[in-house]
Amino acid sequence: MAVDFWLIARILIFPGFTFILLLTLFCDWIERKLEARIQNRVGPMVAGPAGLFQPLADFIKLLTKEEIEPRNAKKIVFKFAPLAAFAMMVFAMCFLPIDGGSVISTSGFPGDLVVILTFSTIASFMLFLSGWASSNPYGTISSARVLTQFLGYDIPLFILALTPAFIAGSLSIFAIASYQVTKVVPFIIMAPWAFILFLITIQAELEKDPFDVPDAESELVGGIETEYTGAKLAFLHLTRDVQIVFGAALIVELFLGGPYGPVIGGLPAFWYSLWFVLKLLAVVIVTEYVTTLFARLRIDQVLSANWKIILPLAVLSLMLTVAMITWVYPVL
Amino acid sequence: MANNEVDIVKVIESKFGSKVQVQPGLLGTAAINTNGLHREVLKAMVEADAKTGITAITGLDLGANLGVIFHVHTEKGFFGLRAEVPKEKPRLQTITDIIPGALFHELEVSDLFGIMFDGNELKGHFLLSENWPEGIFPLRKDVNPAEVKLGPSPPEEKIPEDKKIVKFIIGPQHPALLEPEKFSVTVEGEVVTKVEPRIGYVHRGIEKSAETRTYVQDVYLVERVCGICNACHAHGFVGAVEKILKTDVPPRAKYLRVIALELNRLHSHLLTLGHAGLEIGYETLFQYFWRDREPIMDLIELTSGNRVYASLMTIGGVRRDLKDTDIPKIKTTLSDLKKKLPFYRKVYTDEPSIRARMQNEGVLAKEDAIKLCVVGPVARGSGYDIDVRKDDPYEAYGEIPFKEIVYKTGDTWARMNVRMDELEESINIIEYALDNMPKGPFRVDVPRYVPIGEAIHRVEAPRGELFYYVKGNGSASPERVKIRTPTYANIPAFLKTAIGENIADVPPNFVSLDPCFSCTDR
Repeated sequence: MAVDFWLIARILIFPGFTFILLLTLFCDWIERKLEARIQNRVGPMVAGPAGLFQPLADFIKLLTKEEIEPRNAKKIVFKFAPLAAFAMMVFAMCFLPIDGGSVISTSGFPGDLVVILTFSTIASFMLFLSGWASSNPYGTISSARVLTQFLGYDIPLFILALTPAFIAGSLSIFAIASYQVTKVVPFIIMAPWAFILFLITIQAELEKDPFDVPDAESELVGGIETEYTGAKLAFLHLTRDVQIVFGAALIVELFLGGPYGPVIGGLPAFWYSLWFVLKLLAVVIVTEYVTTLFARLRIDQVLSANWKIILPLAVLSLMLTVAMITWVYPVL
Repeated sequence: MANNEVDIVKVIESKFGSKVQVQPGLLGTAAINTNGLHREVLKAMVEADAKTGITAITGLDLGANLGVIFHVHTEKGFFGLRAEVPKEKPRLQTITDIIPGALFHELEVSDLFGIMFDGNELKGHFLLSENWPEGIFPLRKDVNPAEVKLGPSPPEEKIPEDKKIVKFIIGPQHPALLEPEKFSVTVEGEVVTKVEPRIGYVHRGIEKSAETRTYVQDVYLVERVCGICNACHAHGFVGAVEKILKTDVPPRAKYLRVIALELNRLHSHLLTLGHAGLEIGYETLFQYFWRDREPIMDLIELTSGNRVYASLMTIGGVRRDLKDTDIPKIKTTLSDLKKKLPFYRKVYTDEPSIRARMQNEGVLAKEDAIKLCVVGPVARGSGYDIDVRKDDPYEAYGEIPFKEIVYKTGDTWARMNVRMDELEESINIIEYALDNMPKGPFRVDVPRYVPIGEAIHRVEAPRGELFYYVKGNGSASPERVKIRTPTYANIPAFLKTAIGENIADVPPNFVSLDPCFSCTDR
């Protein structure tokens, strides 16, 4: 069997692993710089121009640090959960159309939206496992919070992800993204109510302020990361960052028309990647802006916000969407 | 005002007659030799004035006997109730059943002087470290701390095996605490059922070492009790010494001292308001407050020459005069800060996530505040209007108009808002002091040897009432220095309000006391 070098290059370099990794580190830099500027600080300054390489430098630094395992930790889970979480997130990213098609171009199949949402849930579960396996009281409480939070917010997330799927009439991300191009209008304009709710839910899924109860450092020290050191900690951090990019990418694909945009000469793949990155950065900036503006809620406030407000609104949003599809959109 | 003072003294004189001796003018309003009737006198005082509370308990080594002074505050008066116990059998009846807030004070005297209180027995150590040998009481005159041999370190604390109950240990090292102190918090689910404090991790024995240094050296030593409110500590000490010396501080020095004390309050409140933001995950608020705190630190440097430890106070006045050319600079900085305050006020009153985290959390009722003898913004947040600057004006505070900030709700939010409002009052006080500064000398010469005598001085530090007791023995060093810091009085309030709280509310509740453990432990 002939080795498909093209496919391997796509998986390993662009738009696969290397690209996703660099994009993640770049988004991390954007977030840190933005947060710093909002808070009247300078942010990263040293590594690279305007501290651009600081996230990479931090990652490499952590890789070189000593690895310590607590005596009571559940060794195997403790070792592999961070890696598994990271792998799950990158794998989920591979199904998103970045330069026009998804990374493994043959892998797009009807229903892959459900698959990638499931992958992201499994990744969150791996993070829970990593905290629980460390046998540290802070880690245990933090991972219990991770569990309660993502179990709660996954339900509205799935329901809200169905809104674009209903309008496009498909559960395939590729179909949803390209539907917005053929109909010209992205779903952010067709269903803004679902977009706003989805943004809030993603904020909660990603454990960012005001929903960052699992790593509330004033109560839980390092949260699930308390006992982690070295490379494992590096991968935990990286998983968090990929999760943020994944969340933003999901919003781009579902509501902002995916990577598609005007092609002004040259390779379409280049323009599509550019549009994808620009849209993604816009989402990252919005979520980070919200993060800096709020204080952290309490776990019970986070949960009651989910069950009493977000979930009913998500159901209402779905009903509204169905009504719009049946009676309003055909007329337009 | 005067009515009330006379009342208490009259009540005691009429009730006990010649059984107790009242010495008016000593140790505040009056010192009372109780001759073994300290509980009865205290009960009579509580009956006469419901706002009676304990400020501190001072232990003294009187040679053959050990002396105890209960420093009691009533609504407008301040009394010292003296009691004595023989060294061979140092036992006294507890007063915690009359005033629950005396708990910590009694334990401290037990630990440092070996005076045991019946009904409030000390087990192990309270302030001293676990490996301090039993039966050696460091503040007694016959103990030389350099000769004390420490025992072996105690074994590690066992965490209970019960699955339902998680014991959460906050400290000694914890990101929520800026200084080392330990709080074992027992939680069921996420609800706190019990808080056990262990203080003393930064006990440096400052009270003991003050006895071996001269008065001038002690001014700088007591500043080291706390880096944040250092001017208040220095002022508490020099204020007490000046009362023994009967020195009249020149009027200009009084105003200069007020400026130093209020700058202290400004930067301390800005620090806490920002730190509270950090505790509830509001990093932006933290960064903003601390950015605006920097110009105040610069003002402290401008007026005293030092950025942190001002070292401005000295016995008989201040060490440095204020240049007239510096006054416009101070005023510009303060008015810049004043312009920013409405924004912060709006954030603290209107921001939904702050309200969700702070309102109705850690509620301390007014009755509890009085019973537990809390001080400062914690008391004022609960509607208990005590402020030494108003109740017992020192320096130029009697001449400067300002408002006493009182909130009624008693929750974390109220305590932070008291500080928020006090920022503006502090700026007004400094501006008034700059405008009305009298001319003249800024210090007077004082003798190096302080006569036999004792005095107390109370200062309203940023965290609440700071209490100093100094006893002179005619030499160049004090016989005894007693320091009661505001955080020490406020920790019981935290222990009470934390019960039944969600674990996530413990850090913001705690930081609303503005805890300072270096102060607490001394």
